[in-house]
Amino acid sequence: MSESWSYIFYEMYTGCFTTILNLLKVLVPLMIIIELLIQYDVLEKLSRKLEFLGRPMGISKDAIFPLLVGVVMGVTYGAGTIMELNQRKPLSKRDFALIGVFMYLCHGVIETGFLFGINGANVFVVVVVRLLIAFFITCIAARLPYFQKMEH
Amino acid sequence: MKKFFLAVRTGAFKGLKTGLMLLKIMLPIYVLVVLLKYSPVMPWLQEGFAPVMKLFNLPGDAAVAVITGFFTDEYGCVAAMSGFSFSAASITTIAMVTLMAHSIPVESAVAQKIGFPAGWLIIYRAFMAVLVGIFIGWLGGVLL
Repeated sequence: MSESWSYIFYEMYTGCFTTILNLLKVLVPLMIIIELLIQYDVLEKLSRKLEFLGRPMGISKDAIFPLLVGVVMGVTYGAGTIMELNQRKPLSKRDFALIGVFMYLCHGVIETGFLFGINGANVFVVVVVRLLIAFFITCIAARLPYFQKMEH
Repeated sequence: MKKFFLAVRTGAFKGLKTGLMLLKIMLPIYVLVVLLKYSPVMPWLQEGFAPVMKLFNLPGDAAVAVITGFFTDEYGCVAAMSGFSFSAASITTIAMVTLMAHSIPVESAVAQKIGFPAGWLIIYRAFMAVLVGIFIGWLGGVLL
């Protein structure tokens, strides 16, 4: 050990407190925001406004809503919405695959924006640049023969 | 208005509950990382990973945070990250690499459940993590 044990324990002790505080600073506002988004159907309304983004990404307008849920609130919520939609009117194979391409690169932007923002990362890069990266990758993927061949 | 307050109350309660659950994972990770940092293994790890991390414009220590994030989740990465002191540019790069590829075991299981091929997803995310890491590392060196 390259430091004395008392120093190491002191660091752990203070570090644990900061960790707890930072975590609550992320999670309490996050859960309140998510609850409000659900109660006021914000994402459903927003997805109708964002339908135009479906065309460059090669997905139909039905796929915008589950994608938006996953991207804004997180993978578990996104997966839940997809499963719910599949019971009513299944998404096409291509929509489903392209949602995966986008959502697995960029999901839970509120959560991760808060989390890494509070811990010192650049929030613009973590949220906006990440969204742009995922958007462009999905646009490229939609033009690959592998995704083109899928039924839509 | 009643709907609003109800949502705030439920949200705050859920936040505290999730927080308690996550702390059970985060605090042990943090403690282990602090122990690792001062252990004789650390200089060896630092040197071993320095060439790879250099690709992302990161110090060798960053490997601990990136690897922890890959196998646990973003919260694990943050817990590991807070054991060290990094510059804002490094934190942003670590965040972006981790955000591209994190909680691989859990998220792959979720993917499998809704029908995405988990194997391809892991390769895709790891590849993107490297690509984005190089890009943001370079960007961080230029801008931040």
